[in-house]
Amino acid sequence: MEQTPFLNRRETILEVRGLKKSFGPKRVLNGVNLKVGKGEVLVILGPNGCGKSTLLRCLNLLEKYQEGEVALRGEVISRGRPEGSGLSRQDRAVECAMRRHFGMVFQRFNLFPHLRVIDNVMSGPINVLRMPRDEAFEVARKALCKVGLWEKHPCDPLTLSGGQQQRVGIARALAMNPDIMLFDECTSSLDPMMTKEVFMVLRELASEGMTMLVVTHDLDFAREIGDRVVFIENGVVSAEGTPEHIFEAKPTPGVRALIEGSLYETRLSRA
Amino acid sequence: MLRAAGATLLLTAASMPLAVVFGLALAAMRISHRRMLSWPAATYIEVIRGTPLLVQLFVVYYTLPQLGNYLQTDLLPRIGVCLETNPLTWNNWAVGIFCLSANYAAYEAEILRAGLQAIDPGQREAALSLGMSERQAFFIIVLPQAFRVVVPPIINDLIAMLKDSCLVSVIGVPELLFKANGIGKARATVAQMLTVAAALYLTLSLGGYALGRLLEKRLSIRGAPELHVDQPHGH
Repeated sequence: MEQTPFLNRRETILEVRGLKKSFGPKRVLNGVNLKVGKGEVLVILGPNGCGKSTLLRCLNLLEKYQEGEVALRGEVISRGRPEGSGLSRQDRAVECAMRRHFGMVFQRFNLFPHLRVIDNVMSGPINVLRMPRDEAFEVARKALCKVGLWEKHPCDPLTLSGGQQQRVGIARALAMNPDIMLFDECTSSLDPMMTKEVFMVLRELASEGMTMLVVTHDLDFAREIGDRVVFIENGVVSAEGTPEHIFEAKPTPGVRALIEGSLYETRLSRA
Repeated sequence: MLRAAGATLLLTAASMPLAVVFGLALAAMRISHRRMLSWPAATYIEVIRGTPLLVQLFVVYYTLPQLGNYLQTDLLPRIGVCLETNPLTWNNWAVGIFCLSANYAAYEAEILRAGLQAIDPGQREAALSLGMSERQAFFIIVLPQAFRVVVPPIINDLIAMLKDSCLVSVIGVPELLFKANGIGKARATVAQMLTVAAALYLTLSLGGYALGRLLEKRLSIRGAPELHVDQPHGH
């Protein structure tokens, strides 16, 4: 596997070692190893059902995994547990604290529809960080300004367009000041115009040095935003490298199938 | 007569909140993945829904004290335990409120369960991903949304309870039907009194509907599609 110069230049912020995850008898991730540099934008590609999203969800324990461990700045923050093992009260508290390192952006936005935009963004700082309201308001204002939606702050989230909702989702995650942002197919339910909107926000975050893990199906998106691409196939990382390397060399049949399949799709839509 | 209508109102006003709170606990148990919790809740719900409220009232008001007395005067002395024996009786108001709320709790539990399950699991995940605890995710994010969905069917049940509360007249709670009957028999004007009672029930019910519409309006979310919970089969 090609070792990208990128990582050598940067301090490793996140390391995933031998992560295995099954849903019942079905093994989805079969020993994933991954290193992410500080400020790096890592794009995760792979065919449907290969476990890309599951990997992301394992990182902040929305899914429990059975084996392996995840380390943040060299410190192990979660370990695999055998299936069915219970969690003590203390385990749960640790889990909550550990999730704060990650900000997650979902495919279907998952904004809280009963709270106004500003209250969505303030909900983390107020309830989790126990910030006073005025302080949380200031944090939320900055986050909303960053995604260019401050003027929408008194609106109800479902009155916004998809792209705007996703930007609010990003702001909500940013308000918790996470170390790493996780994007789970964050543009899959958006049209090209809205995708562009979200893309601009991601690019700005990248330029500010935010570490980001981006799961996507959109190859153009991957090429433009990614510092490095990993390709997941059959539950393991089957290829990794710079976007140029992955898209030009197509190192495995799976990569080739995905890229050519996508070209085929593009050709079809042009025809 | 108006006092009796007040008693009906009081019965309902006391029982319904209890039913909703108890129902919420039942619903939470029912959804739980732990069999130890979900089984008792499911059994309770089915037993309560499968027996008439009138029978439940009789059992609690008459049978349980009898059992208690039997225990005191017969069973316990036989195994050598002697208690000071004073015959057990219930306060009929307490039994009325207890039975109404325990009965309706089973129905409210099913409504709340459907309401909670109608909320996208992504809501909980989003709350957790911000670092909220399961409890915070439930009370701050999921429950308020579920509440909006369940208001119409719960108001429906509130009105049903208003009318069902006439059943507690059989244990002598001086509510609307009990009084109408009593006054009517004393003055030989049963038909008139029952008509007045019916009119008062209707008035109270209409008040309930008005309250429901007000709540629905207050809780509606702009831009949200209408969500409906099917009313679990009637009483």
